[in-house]
Amino acid sequence: MDPVIQHTILIGMAGLVCGALLALVSHYFAVHEDPTVEALTAALPGINCGGCGYAGCAAYAKAVATENIGLDLCKPGGAETVAKMAAITGRTASAREREVAVVLCNGSRERARQAALYNGVADCAAADLVAGGGKSCRFGCLGFGSCARVCPTGAIEIADSLAVVHPELCIGCGKCTGACPRKLIKLVPESRSIHVLCINRDRGPDVKKVCDVGCIGCTLCSKACNNEGIKMDGFLAVVDYTVPLNSPEIATKCPTKAIAVRPGVKKEAAA
Amino acid sequence: MTELVLLVVGAVLVNNFVLHRFLGICPFLGVSRDIPTALGMSAAVVFVVTCAAAVTWPLQYFVLERFGAGYLQTIAFILVIATFVQLVELVLKKAAPALHRGLGIYLPLITTNCAVLGVTVLSIKKGLNFVESIFFALGAALGFGLALLIFTGMRERIARAYPPRAFQGTAIALVTAGLLSLAFMGFAGLVKL
Amino acid sequence: MTAIRAPFRIRGGVHPHDSKSATSALPVETAAVPPRLLVSASQHLGAPSKPVVKKGDAVLRGQVIAEASGYVSSAVHAPTSGTVKSVTSMLTATARHAFVVEIEPDGQDKWVEPLHPMADWTSAAPRDLVNRIAAAGIVGMGGAGFPTQVKLSPPPGKSIDTVIINGAECEPFLTADHRLMLEQSDAVWLGARIIRHILGASRLFVGIEDNKPDAIAAMEKAMAGADGETGVIILKSRYPQGAEKQLIRSVTGREVPSGGLPMDVGAVVENVATAAAVAAAVTRGVPLTERVITITGECVKNPRNLLARVGTPISWLIEQCGGLTGSVGKVISGGPMMGVALPDLDVGANKTTSGVLAISRESARQFGSEPCIACGRCVIACPSGLLPCTLSEHIEAEQFDDAERISVLDCIECGACAFECPARRPLVQHMRQGKQTVLTRRRAREAAARGKEERK
Repeated sequence: MDPVIQHTILIGMAGLVCGALLALVSHYFAVHEDPTVEALTAALPGINCGGCGYAGCAAYAKAVATENIGLDLCKPGGAETVAKMAAITGRTASAREREVAVVLCNGSRERARQAALYNGVADCAAADLVAGGGKSCRFGCLGFGSCARVCPTGAIEIADSLAVVHPELCIGCGKCTGACPRKLIKLVPESRSIHVLCINRDRGPDVKKVCDVGCIGCTLCSKACNNEGIKMDGFLAVVDYTVPLNSPEIATKCPTKAIAVRPGVKKEAAA
Repeated sequence: MTELVLLVVGAVLVNNFVLHRFLGICPFLGVSRDIPTALGMSAAVVFVVTCAAAVTWPLQYFVLERFGAGYLQTIAFILVIATFVQLVELVLKKAAPALHRGLGIYLPLITTNCAVLGVTVLSIKKGLNFVESIFFALGAALGFGLALLIFTGMRERIARAYPPRAFQGTAIALVTAGLLSLAFMGFAGLVKL
Repeated sequence: MTAIRAPFRIRGGVHPHDSKSATSALPVETAAVPPRLLVSASQHLGAPSKPVVKKGDAVLRGQVIAEASGYVSSAVHAPTSGTVKSVTSMLTATARHAFVVEIEPDGQDKWVEPLHPMADWTSAAPRDLVNRIAAAGIVGMGGAGFPTQVKLSPPPGKSIDTVIINGAECEPFLTADHRLMLEQSDAVWLGARIIRHILGASRLFVGIEDNKPDAIAAMEKAMAGADGETGVIILKSRYPQGAEKQLIRSVTGREVPSGGLPMDVGAVVENVATAAAVAAAVTRGVPLTERVITITGECVKNPRNLLARVGTPISWLIEQCGGLTGSVGKVISGGPMMGVALPDLDVGANKTTSGVLAISRESARQFGSEPCIACGRCVIACPSGLLPCTLSEHIEAEQFDDAERISVLDCIECGACAFECPARRPLVQHMRQGKQTVLTRRRAREAAARGKEERK
């Protein structure tokens, strides 16, 4: 026989034997895996941001398949993912409104005063431990970008020692809310555009001393909306995000310009 | 006995597979981020390479040589090694799920690792007998593990250092690998084989 | 019993110039009551106390104005009689915000009545004495401010055999404890014996650094004819000789285990000022409302040791010393090694404020964030046997798990590493950040584990 044919057959046989062996072994050693978990993992965005509270997309998928966990926990995925997951599991669920982060401080370098020269470690948590860094306001943004460093999508920009979230890039995972030592960052419904950009709870004169754009607790905004939408919490106006608030002109009432109308207005303007 | 020891020492230090023969560079750069994964990879390589040598030696001498098909060595070895690794993975998944999770992605990665093929082909080329080829493979795999662990340790330290901007990341890693390779040249002549 | 040299040495340490000569020979002078007092409700380690007075209330000296809000907490008393002007959140001498009771003194300095002196403490039950100390609001006056009654109540199963009174005062510049030992050696010794009585310890030592021979002599004189195993231990002048764990090592040779407390090796350390306060509280029934503060530094015109009321504004204290001169770089509350720079001088002194230090622009060290040059001097200097260089690199690279693995939590923040660092790395700040983050993450992990348990 021609050696070429002979050797082709030889290798072919070897391949067959190997294949058969693998087939046999995979049959006898088969591990049963839940196909829904795999399908669910594929349906999730796969960026492993951890915003759902699980260690990555696969862990969340497993929890959904086995523990009857809600389908709407994936923030980056939004409505599309919820629909896909509902189709796979046969459950019904409606998407939550997409949330984006907002930094509740507007005290940039020009607007907020500095109490001291801080020349330590350029990290918010570290600065907060040393007399609260250089800024006079003990509630305000330190501007060293600890939030920006944990953001998986680079949605936070530090400009003039103030963190600003770009809502179009934000996936609402909430990592920054945990990274901020001053708890300044809040997740809010995407459609909301009116925010009180201050969490200073001190009295008006004290706020005025440290910042030009702080909330001085004058109550003009809460009165303008009949205490709905914006409520007073001591000396601080707080937006109630569960109540609709559709009047951008309320921002003009604020004497210190602490209320801002931020982009992300698109849906609200259309409504 | 002395022969075997020399064979192992030679494969670990003098003719290190990564740093002297430049085989298996892909996992060397890919899984050298932290020590635990590097350890897992090293253990997997030691296991697979040694077993592969044990499988390919009989294949060469009892099958390929007998049929005069020595020139098909590469194809046949790849086939057998790939099958073997898949088998091990399947069995591990069932029998020892914890170990399987530990080795994770590394087992299938090794399938296509040129170091494995390199070791088996070299031991045939050197005309080693069965026992010698096993020890040679063991030494080569240990050498791979040693190089990987040293390199990982260095990269862990580089991760907290400040290289110039142009050198950050892979660049400084490659420079480090080069220097490590130079350092291993110092072992040349340690063992005469 | 005569004084003996410390049988053991601390690990590492540094030797800064002690700079104590400006005030070490000056007797303690009693400062007047300032026109306004800013008394913090959080002068101790642990849960902040709860203010119990409100605006407009009249208070008498020694009246409780903030009560303890937990087990590890401490009461605060009015330092003089007067009117409460406000209770607000303000900066304090620890450079942290806390509730501060502002008091306008009425000038009469009237004590709350009646005080309860105790004639014979030797036959009193330890429990009663501890309650007395708790009621007097005594905290560790060396700087940390750990509530003393907690320290003196070891949990069952822990037996204390050694009490060490800490007169090391290893911080440069400060002479408050030094002067106290010279001028009130009997009170210190009385307090020390009360503490020994409470704990039922057999051994009682007073540790003093060898740069204070007069204090050693004074304490020896006070302790002459003492019963039991007692003595003055002369410590080698080396920073941080006066740190709790290091002092235990010098005196007893015992090493407090990683993550452990001094009571794990049967020892309790109390500062000399704390001992004097204990003596006053037990024998005279007087709560802690004043302390000795050293106001010094090259930018203070006339450095002094002042016995000042708790809550005296730092700015007022400096005025009493002739004010500031020259180009001031920093005003530090505490010593130069462990103290904190103050962003504002209108803050009230705390029970833990042992000194106020004004240093010039030239001496105020500016930290950079240059890379570590791996010289290893911080490793030699570290009294806890840690690797500050590696730790700071881990923390900078946000590798907190690695930092935890190599014991960042055992750092005592003494600053010896940063003192030695030729690259001027902000090592202590890294450690503080690392400790904080590691603790937060540990708590989060524990909370998650608990949550998991509950779900099952």
